[in-house]
Amino acid sequence: MHIGIDVGGTSTDGVLLHRGELVQSVKKPSRQEDLAETILAVLDGLLEGRDAGAVRRLVISTTLVTNLLATQKGARTALILVPGRGLPFDFYRIAPDTYFLKGNIDFRGKVTEPVEEAEIERAVADIRARGIGRIAVAAKFSNRNRTVEQEIARAIKRLYPEATVVLGSETANRLNFPRRAVTAYYSAVTAPEWNGFADRIEEALHRRGLKAPVDILKADGGTMPLVLSRENPVETVFSGPAASAMGAVALSRRKENAVVIDIGGTTSDIALLIDGEPLHASGGALINGRLTHINALALRSLALGGDSAVKGESGRVEITAERFGPAACFGGPVATVSDAFACHRGLKLGEAERAREKIAAAAAAAGLEPGPFAAAVVEQALERLGALIQGMFREWENEPAYKVWEIVHRRRFRLDRLYGIGGAAELIVPLLADRLGVPYLVHRLAPVANALGAAVARPTLAVSLYADTQQKRYLVDREGIEGSIDNPEGFRLEEARKTAAQCLARLAAARGAAQYLNDTRVILAEQFNMIRGFSRVGKIFRVDVQIAPGLIDEFEGVAD
Amino acid sequence: MKPTGLLFFPAFDWAISPSHPEREERLLYTRDQIFEEGIMDLPQVREYQPRLAEARDIARVHFCVPSIKDIASEAHLVAAGGSLVMADAFAAGEIKNGFAIIRPPGHHAMTVAHGNRGFCNINNEAIMIEYLRRKYGYRRIAIVDTDVHHGDGTQEIYYHDPDVLFISFHQDGRTLYPGSGFVEEMGAPPAVGTTINIPLAPYTTDEGILYVLDRLILPLLEEFKPELVVNSAGQDNHYSDPLANMRFTATGYAELNRRLAPDLAVLEGGYSVETALPYINLALIMAMAGIDSSNMREPDYDPAAFKEDPGNLARLDRIAALQLENFRRREDERAAAIKKGPPFYSTTRQIYYDTDHIRESQQIKQRLCPNCCSYRVIASAAVHAYGQISRALCFSIPLYCCSACREEARDAYRQAVQEGGGADYIYLQDRAADDYRRFDSRGDTEETIN
Repeated sequence: MHIGIDVGGTSTDGVLLHRGELVQSVKKPSRQEDLAETILAVLDGLLEGRDAGAVRRLVISTTLVTNLLATQKGARTALILVPGRGLPFDFYRIAPDTYFLKGNIDFRGKVTEPVEEAEIERAVADIRARGIGRIAVAAKFSNRNRTVEQEIARAIKRLYPEATVVLGSETANRLNFPRRAVTAYYSAVTAPEWNGFADRIEEALHRRGLKAPVDILKADGGTMPLVLSRENPVETVFSGPAASAMGAVALSRRKENAVVIDIGGTTSDIALLIDGEPLHASGGALINGRLTHINALALRSLALGGDSAVKGESGRVEITAERFGPAACFGGPVATVSDAFACHRGLKLGEAERAREKIAAAAAAAGLEPGPFAAAVVEQALERLGALIQGMFREWENEPAYKVWEIVHRRRFRLDRLYGIGGAAELIVPLLADRLGVPYLVHRLAPVANALGAAVARPTLAVSLYADTQQKRYLVDREGIEGSIDNPEGFRLEEARKTAAQCLARLAAARGAAQYLNDTRVILAEQFNMIRGFSRVGKIFRVDVQIAPGLIDEFEGVAD
Repeated sequence: MKPTGLLFFPAFDWAISPSHPEREERLLYTRDQIFEEGIMDLPQVREYQPRLAEARDIARVHFCVPSIKDIASEAHLVAAGGSLVMADAFAAGEIKNGFAIIRPPGHHAMTVAHGNRGFCNINNEAIMIEYLRRKYGYRRIAIVDTDVHHGDGTQEIYYHDPDVLFISFHQDGRTLYPGSGFVEEMGAPPAVGTTINIPLAPYTTDEGILYVLDRLILPLLEEFKPELVVNSAGQDNHYSDPLANMRFTATGYAELNRRLAPDLAVLEGGYSVETALPYINLALIMAMAGIDSSNMREPDYDPAAFKEDPGNLARLDRIAALQLENFRRREDERAAAIKKGPPFYSTTRQIYYDTDHIRESQQIKQRLCPNCCSYRVIASAAVHAYGQISRALCFSIPLYCCSACREEARDAYRQAVQEGGGADYIYLQDRAADDYRRFDSRGDTEETIN
C-alpha cells in the first residue's frame, strides 16, 4: 500500500493505492494552525480497517513551510554575510538582523582577504545579547571555498554554543551569492517549527505501528526522507503545485509536452511537462520577492478560477479576482466564470435556471443579451489563460544560453496535450484545448491528482561538481563533500562525470534513491582549458548530475 | 527608472585555436563573478538573449570576400546579433543603456573583409550602428573606442562619414598592434575632423586616461551633440593585460564609464582573463546601472601603485588642444576640399591580416559632392598565405546619399558588372535602398543578399 497526503489551503486530500488501484481517498478541511493533526486525521481515515504495517511508503506534501515564510512567523534568525568585493553591502540586507564581515574569496576559491577574528566576535556577541538563537552564515564564493564559513561556524560554536548554525555552502552551491544567503536564511528560519512538526509525525506514526519510510514532497516534484528534511526544510516550500504536476504525470504517463492546468476556485496554476517531466524554474523558487537556490517547478498563476465573479458594466464584461461563494448553479450569490462556461456550452449543471438568471442580470448591466455576455466571458477567460501559457512557452524557448550551438539551434515548444485538474477543469479545459489546438484529458481521478502525485513521486537528488585540476581539488554541493585530484593530467571530463556520479550514488543510498541511479542524468557538463602564457596549466570542470522527478517503479498507472 | 540591458554571450564553445587569447576560457571568470554577484537578479539590470544577425545586417557594413558565409561563422553572427538585440531594446525604450558582453570581437574588421585580423572578422559596432540608422533613423553617432589597440576597422568604416564621430584612445601605434591611430589620421576630406585619435604613452594610468577624457573626449561629445554614444569597450588597458602595457584599473574603467555615460557598450578586447576581466566587466555594469562601485576592486589593487608622469599629462594637454582645433575646423576643411575638388578624392592603402596572413591592397575613390556624403568605390586585391589572389570591386552608397550620386553609383556598378573589369567579385552596397548585391564574375551570377 502506498499513501499520499497533500495539504492544501482549504482542504487536505489523501489517497491509498493498492496494486496500482486507488482503493481509498479522504478529504478533510485543513486546519492551518495544526497541520500535523489534519494529516493524521486523513491518515487515520485512509487506514480505517487496514493494517498500518502493510503500508510500504507514506509521502506528505504540506504547506507548513510555505505558510511560515508567507506569514513571516518563523524563528528570529541572524544572518552573517561575507559579501567581499563587488556590489555595495547594502544590496544584501536580506534579513532584519544582517551582519556584514570583511573578507573576500575569489572565483577560484582563493581567500584574498581573511575574515577578522575580532569582527566575528563582535557580531556573535551582539547576536547573543539580542537573544537570537539561530544564525545563518554565507560568504560570496563559499561554493568554491568553504573554509571562511567554517571558520565563522567554529567561532560561533566557541562563543555561543547554544546557537544553531546553517551554512550557505551546505544549503546550495551553485553560483549566486544572494540566493545562497536567502536559502540559508530561510532554512534557519523554518527549521524549529519544521522539526517540531517532524517530531510529532514520527511519534504519531510510531504509535500507529506504521514502520514504512516517510517521505516529504519537495518543490521540485521529488521526495526526500522526513529525517533528512530536518536539514533543509525550506526545500518543501511550494510542494502543493508540485503534487498536482506529479499527479498529472502519474495520470498521463506519456512522454509528451503538456500543459497542466489546475483550475481552483479563484486561481489557475499552470505547469509545463517537457517529454513527460515537469519543467523547473531556472531562477529557483521565488519566496517573498526573493529568489532562492531551491529547485522548484516553473509555475504561473492567474487570479482566475471557476468561482471568480463576473460582472457587466456599461458595455464591458469583467472577470473579477473576487469570490463571493460557489458558482450560482451551486447556490452561490453571483454569476461566476463556471456559470458563464456552463451557459455558453449549454450544459445543465446544478441549478441551471438560477445560473441563467444571474448571468442574465450581469449581462443586463453590460447592456448585452445573456448569450453574448457568456460568450464574452468565455472569450476573455480563454484569452488570458492562453496568453499566460504562450508566455511560458516563449520563456522556455528563450532560456539563457551561452553557447553558439544553443543559439543557432533555438528550441521551439510543441504542445501535445492539455491536462486539466481542479474543480472547474471539466468546464473550461475542453474549450482551452480547442483554442490551443491540442487534445485534452480531465481524468476521472483529477480531483485527487495532487494526493496521487504525492503518493507516487519518486525521490530526486541533484549533485553539482566543480573541479579545478590546477588546484587538484573538487567540491560537491552536498554535505560538504570535497576531495583531491591525485592525477590532474589524467583527470578529464569523463573522470569528472564519474566522480559526480559516485557522489550521487553515495548520497542516494541514504535517501532511499539507490534504485533510481540507473536513471542518472547529466544535466550539464562543461570543461575549460586554463591557458597561462601559451600552455595549459589545468582544467576547470562543472558537472551536474541528477535523479530527475519521476514516478516510483511500483506504480504502473491507473485505468482511464 | 529603466534598467540597464545586459547581454552576456561568452561563446563557451568557440575559440580561434585552443591556446589563443580568444578562447573558451576568456569570459569564464567573468561569468563566475557576474552570476555569483546575482547581477541578473537585480531590478537595475535586465538580461537579454542574443539572436543570429542576418546576412543583410552584415552586408550593410561589409564586403565579405568571397562571401559572408566564408567570413562570418555562426559565432560571429551570434555576437553581432547580440549587439542588435541590445540596439533594439535601447531604441524601443526598454532600457536606459545597454552592454553587450559578447565575443568574438570586431573593431579591427574593415569595410572589405577577406579574413580575420586582430581577432576580428566582422565589426559588431558598425553592424549595430548601421542597423540603428536604417531601422530607427538615428544619424549622428559618436563611437568612443576604449580598447588599448587602435580601433582601425571602425575608423576605416567611418573615415568617410561626417555624421559619425570616431574617437579612439589607445597605446601608441609605434609600440603596439595594429601600428596605426596617429593624430594625423583625421578622416577623408569629406569627413575630415570626425576621426580623432589619441595615442597614449605606454604605462598611462587611470589619471592620464581620465585626464584626456575630461579635457578632450567629453568636450568633443558636447560640441558634436550625437544622438547616440557607443563605447567600443575593450578591457586591455588594464595593468595586468598580457598583450599591452598600460596601467588602467577596474576602478578607472568604472569612472570612465560613469563620466562617458555611453548609451550602448560593446565588448572588444581584453585578455587578462582571470585578473582583470571579471572585475572590469562588473565595474562597467555597475557604472552603467548607476550602482556605487567603491566596493569593487581587483584583489591586488593598490591605489598608490601607479603614479602618472607629469610629462605625460603635459603631452596629453597638447594632444587635446590640437585635436579640439582639428575638430572645430572640420566644416571649413570639408567645404574647402569639395570646392577645390577634383570630383573624386582617391587614395591607396595596404592592409595586413595578422591572424590569417593576408596582404591586401586597396584603391579607394570617394565622390566629392556639395550636397551629400557621397559614394565610395574600393578596388581590393588580397594575397592569401598560399599565394592565391582574390580581387573585389566594391560600390558603397551611404544612407544619406543624394539621389544624383546614388544613381551614378548604381550605374557604375551595372557597368562594372557588364564589363567585368578584372574583379572576381563585384559588390553593391546601397544603404539608401537597403539593397545589397554580389556579382560573381566567374559564374556570371548576381545574387541579392537578404
